Amino acid sequence: MSGQTRGGSRYARRAHRGRRTRRTALVPTAILLLGSLYALLPVAWVVAASTKNNTQLFNLFAFRPGNALLGNLSTLTSYRGGIFWTWMWNTALYAGGGAILSAALSALTGYTFAKYRFRGKTMLFNLILVGVLVPAVVLAVPQYLLVAKLGLADTYWSVLIPSIVSPYGIYLARIYAGACVPDEVIEAARMDGSGEWRTFLRIAVPMMGPGLVTIFLFQFVAIWNNFLLPWLMLGSDTKFPLTVGLYTLLTQGTSQPALYTVVITGALLSIVPLVVLFLLLQRFWRVDLSAGSVK
Amino acid sequence: MKLSRAVTTAACGLAALALAAGCSSSGGSAPASSGANQKVDLTFWSWVPNMDRIVAAWNQAHPDIQVTFTKAAGGDAELTKLLTSGKAKTMPDIAQVEYQSLPTMVSNNYLADISKYVDGVRSDYPDGLWNQVTLGTGAVYGVPQDAAPLAFFYRTDLFKKYNLTPPATWAQYQSEAGQLHRANPSVYLGDTATTDGGLFSGLTQQAGAKWWSAKGDSWTVGIDSPASRKVASYWGALVKQGAVDNKTAWTADWSKALDNGTYLSWIAAVWAPGTLASEAADTSGKWAMAALPQWNAGDQVTGSWGGSATSVTADSKHPQQAAQFITWLNHESQGTDLLVTDGSVYPASLAAESGSALAVPSFVSGQSDFYTQAKQYSKEAATATWGPDVNVAYSAFSDAFGAAATNKGDFLAALATVQQKVVADMRTNGFTVSGG
Amino acid sequence: MAATEVVEAARAGGTAPRRRRWSPAPRRTPYAFMVPATVLFTAVFLVPLGYTVYLSTQKTQIQGLGLGRGARRQVFTGFGDYTGVLHDSEFWHSVLRALLYGCVLIPVMLGLAALFALILDAQRVRFQRFGRIAIFLPYAVPTLIGSILWGMMYLPSVSPFVSVMHTLFGTTSVNFFGAHAVYLSIANIGVWGGTGFNMMVLYTALRSLPQEVYEAARIDGSGEFQIAWRIKLPMIRPSVIMTAIFSTIATLQVFNEPYTIHTMSAGAVSSTWTPLMTIYHDTYTGDDVFAGSAESIVIAVLMFLVSIAVLRLTNRQTFGGESQ
Repeated sequence: MSGQTRGGSRYARRAHRGRRTRRTALVPTAILLLGSLYALLPVAWVVAASTKNNTQLFNLFAFRPGNALLGNLSTLTSYRGGIFWTWMWNTALYAGGGAILSAALSALTGYTFAKYRFRGKTMLFNLILVGVLVPAVVLAVPQYLLVAKLGLADTYWSVLIPSIVSPYGIYLARIYAGACVPDEVIEAARMDGSGEWRTFLRIAVPMMGPGLVTIFLFQFVAIWNNFLLPWLMLGSDTKFPLTVGLYTLLTQGTSQPALYTVVITGALLSIVPLVVLFLLLQRFWRVDLSAGSVK
Repeated sequence: MKLSRAVTTAACGLAALALAAGCSSSGGSAPASSGANQKVDLTFWSWVPNMDRIVAAWNQAHPDIQVTFTKAAGGDAELTKLLTSGKAKTMPDIAQVEYQSLPTMVSNNYLADISKYVDGVRSDYPDGLWNQVTLGTGAVYGVPQDAAPLAFFYRTDLFKKYNLTPPATWAQYQSEAGQLHRANPSVYLGDTATTDGGLFSGLTQQAGAKWWSAKGDSWTVGIDSPASRKVASYWGALVKQGAVDNKTAWTADWSKALDNGTYLSWIAAVWAPGTLASEAADTSGKWAMAALPQWNAGDQVTGSWGGSATSVTADSKHPQQAAQFITWLNHESQGTDLLVTDGSVYPASLAAESGSALAVPSFVSGQSDFYTQAKQYSKEAATATWGPDVNVAYSAFSDAFGAAATNKGDFLAALATVQQKVVADMRTNGFTVSGG
Repeated sequence: MAATEVVEAARAGGTAPRRRRWSPAPRRTPYAFMVPATVLFTAVFLVPLGYTVYLSTQKTQIQGLGLGRGARRQVFTGFGDYTGVLHDSEFWHSVLRALLYGCVLIPVMLGLAALFALILDAQRVRFQRFGRIAIFLPYAVPTLIGSILWGMMYLPSVSPFVSVMHTLFGTTSVNFFGAHAVYLSIANIGVWGGTGFNMMVLYTALRSLPQEVYEAARIDGSGEFQIAWRIKLPMIRPSVIMTAIFSTIATLQVFNEPYTIHTMSAGAVSSTWTPLMTIYHDTYTGDDVFAGSAESIVIAVLMFLVSIAVLRLTNRQTFGGESQ
């Protein structure tokens, strides 16, 4: 049903853009499909693998499904009294909360960088860029020691707070604000007596909207997939996110059986919410940035 | 096979009574910080499967000492986490630590000396294992949990098919491996035992190597010693001839070869039957265990691969209660029985090794004397000596020997590289190392 | 919808200051707006960074065998750790490997990303919606898991490629972990995981361009290919530069992909294969946080220099529509 509406709007856009022949461009379409195939191949593998038991995993042809999906699911769900779902919930909390806060912070900061002049602007921005340059691997240890000193080790905050600041998000937001919030609009708002905060919220944020959704998504994925930070920060497995939880399932120590198939099924389940989120938020990417409020 | 839940619960109840009685007599002398009736909360990291159930049994029986269990990632991964949290003084009270990692932990001063709390348990462990938790000092840095002597695991069905017998000596292993593969190019007697540092060090222990030793204030690194060189060149020759396969252990590729009968045998420790369940699920019941081949006919020596102790960390505010839990887990029969039945651990405790809970694992179901043999190998295991940077050695080992096995290259040069990297690492870290 | 939600949430939370009724040049506002980011950034990056610098001047001193209480002390060593890094050939080899890896990865990944973004933005192309989702999908797969998936597909006896090659050509000699092939194998994982992300960045930039510009070109009779090459690409240049810089940085920081392959074939990919693997190895396996810190600082400085170089090479204004 949504496909139809989408098809309709695409048609409308095309009609608006120009009245050329509607013939399919074969070469680009073929390239696009090849690219899609390449991208989906390993995903197809993990979907097939999640339906296999240990024997089938090694012996059936890679893309041929087995018959153990339900068995794997029930093993996963019953493992330690359903702790997998606790991990799932934790991950949603870290990623959702962290990404919303991160998008908000990036929006405000990026907008300020793009639309205001103030002392130390260049220096501050460069400093934030340096944040991208320092490898997370070693920042993790001092971050951990600091968090421990504050008594926050092994708390939800220890994972959430470091996830909020995203130099990348700030960078993107600055570009979006520069590109799609025209100075004239801000000046007009000022003339109308709108306060700066209000101008930001009511005018700039909606104009940056699709870009902010992108930042939200990117940060959401980054937190969802983050391993090292939560792994070092958290000591009790009831607070683990999925990545750390699955890792403890995978590395059982030399003398213990590894739970490959369960981990693969868990990995698949951990991707599902991301895919759903992408599909749901898809329509925001379609919005032309200029369509928001300029006209 | 497994104790029924009811029996387990009843057993734990009895254990509680016994311990309660034991505590009031021995703990009476130190009522200092935590009062007699004060509830103590302990945290515990381990990667033993189903440890949550074992801990639940303890908690039920010990309302005053509640243990919160976290399933840690195994081995190296947990060591990394412990070392990091040790810097912030946020380690759990109790942690499972592999024997070879104990010196690293001790050298960082991250483990508590619990010698005064575990007086009575010494005689329950073989000398070799006890030596691992004391590091040859007067202190006790943990109680041994599992023993992991090396043995020779082979497919009974395939050995019959190809008319083989378990080799008694390494010379026999070599000739059998060569003949088998020449006659049947699709199968191998086994994989090269040189892609996992733990296994290789176990094999060199059998040959008499001591990778680390201490004299006075300086360490000696014996990785590139004549005994290790003998083992390295032996396997190097086998790989070069193509008599054994050169796949890297613990990859999907390798699992498949174990599962589909490409490998007829596997050199591993007594925990192998449990691991085979995940690595080679199809082969249940087809395996048997024999003694590790010997360098000299008639010898009875083996090495160890893995195994761990349970330790109290330096961050624990309740070392006495933590030691009490450890003792229950690794020494009292209720704990060790649960370790065996629920945790699939081959216990270090001598009493437990002849305990009632030991049932023959399904992967070697044809071998009724499995645990009698295992106990024998446990006694024959050469004492392992570890230094403060075993994980560096293992890491350098898999790099150097991984390349050597893949390229069928020079194993002796690889061994020299490992030695050199370990010595360099120890010197960088400020240790005194004699020789090179 | 999400945007409105954010607005609503923020409106409910904060009271909008209304005092400045008439002010074309607000002075204090930007400082106030920068407070949250500055505070958090200081706490999460600057202080730990400072601590890293501090650690890089320390080393361990050991008494006796280094066992027991007080046997290990942390002492000042000045530039000692840095001298160690500068003379560590293994470290510099890992830097070279990362650069080589980047030379394979970045052109392919960004080329594909730009190609797909332009195709998505072009007219008369079918399956655009499907293609966009499909190509972006790998981004949702954690790199660790993506690497395991590809790693499994590289291992000879479980690889679908090897079995397909075997049935088609009767050869089993495809070796994904060969001395040179391993660079391509790892770069492939990076291309697979990174193309979608960069495609979305470029696509977002393309969609924000005013459509009127190429309307004129179309009327002049330019084809889609010409419009893409002559008009669209130059106009999204800032985004291309940005993705290039961030990809370069990501390349020098590559870790998950080679690390996973390392666990599958330590012979092909050593534990110190890339700079971050070296840092990880020294910090965690070697338990030498001091050397690890010095290496991190060196890597950060290197990345800084490389970024500056890339910026210089493509010396154009990145922040197009900003207030001046």
